[in-house]
Amino acid sequence: MIGLETYQRGLLDLLKERGPAPADPYLRRVADSRELAMLRDIAMWWRVFQLEAQCRLTARLLRRMGCFDESALSYFNGNNTSPFVEELSRDFLRYLFNHPDPLVRSTSHFEYALSQVLGSSAESFEILWDRNPDSVFLSLDRGTELPPAEVEYAYLMLVSRSIPDRISCTRRPAEID
Amino acid sequence: MAGAGATTTQRCHPALATTYDGDDPRLLDRLAPLVDFLEITPDAIATSDAQCAHLRAAVLSEYAAVRSNVGFIAHGVGLSIGSFDRWEESYLYLLDELFGRLPLAWHSEHLACTTVAGENVGTMFALPRTEEALDLVCERVRILQERYRTPFMLEHVIQLLPDAPSEFTPAGFLNAITSRTGCGLLVDAYNLECDAHNQGLAIRSFLEELDFAPVLELHLAGGTCYNGFRLDIHSGLIDASTLVLGMEILRRAPNLRAVTFELLKEAIPLLGHDSICAELLRLRSAIQSALQ
Repeated sequence: MIGLETYQRGLLDLLKERGPAPADPYLRRVADSRELAMLRDIAMWWRVFQLEAQCRLTARLLRRMGCFDESALSYFNGNNTSPFVEELSRDFLRYLFNHPDPLVRSTSHFEYALSQVLGSSAESFEILWDRNPDSVFLSLDRGTELPPAEVEYAYLMLVSRSIPDRISCTRRPAEID
Repeated sequence: MAGAGATTTQRCHPALATTYDGDDPRLLDRLAPLVDFLEITPDAIATSDAQCAHLRAAVLSEYAAVRSNVGFIAHGVGLSIGSFDRWEESYLYLLDELFGRLPLAWHSEHLACTTVAGENVGTMFALPRTEEALDLVCERVRILQERYRTPFMLEHVIQLLPDAPSEFTPAGFLNAITSRTGCGLLVDAYNLECDAHNQGLAIRSFLEELDFAPVLELHLAGGTCYNGFRLDIHSGLIDASTLVLGMEILRRAPNLRAVTFELLKEAIPLLGHDSICAELLRLRSAIQSALQ
């Protein structure tokens, strides 16, 4: 008879696709089952559904880039995700701050900052964009082509409850390395 | 066989309930005259700020506005009563808050595990039907009963993964919990159909073995099939087969207090208010017919 701890830890590792192959015969049977694949899909559906509803810009951008599901899966499998949608979304956006693509970094940072400020945070956030953020938002909203990065200019955005409309943005010459 | 027969004496009709987790006041206005209870999932009406979860004031106000017309029951998701190490204390804080704001007739939880060693699973694991799991669950039920002094029920969840080696049958495990603790049982007709479809559960044998005296609430829901699996997603109206099974359970359960139409909040826009209300009327009528 399988012990409760072995059973639950084993199922969690299988669900999150981590750890060595299980030694327990029951867990080995689960590992090879189509039921496990279905359970993984269900767990992911919920997360994807919640993230798409709460992180709309970032989710759209990642979808446009063809890496939303992969990013959500990687986040889910590699982290202790919150059952509360606000925390889940916040943590997912923070997770993307280190994404290799600068547009994903800026967009997730902006969406995180906005959620914080609208949630009455007194913190101010500076976000650097390599292209005009207005054009990015318009493109994501309309489903048109994303603007390319600008070589000559960068855009510094401030998100804070201490400024009118909560958001300001200034264009400045790009720093050349 | 304990409690297996249908009652023949006159009995009170069970109440009608449905899920309502806030943010749709127009729907609430229509539901309130149709049901006796609103079933609230504390986790679903909670928000979390700085690692501290609390119930959303706006949703609590919605409930307060109809409290003279309907009663309330709580049905949790995140207690994780079957976790090997510890349950989710944060769920109990939400439940404390709800008890403090609304008169709850009873509360219930899933017989499952949603957290393992502090890590959220993102779904539910059914428990292995072993003496070890039984001891753990019964002790926690006892703590809940002492803490709230309000009837508590456990609901069996679907077993999507292959069944683990067991010391009890599915009904035998539930019987052992209810007889040892005196807690109530929430039977979900659609979950039974899912287990029959996915795992080959023999519903007839299950019903014959189950002690129906502790069955206090019945859940009815509709779901969907995907990749050959029947999933308990609560996204639709009640299938005819589920209703037939539900009414059989109703006839067998002499102490049944409520029949609840469960519906996922996200499914409301897909179904529309009219069809949800029509479903409740249909269900009320089916309950009356079943007990005539």
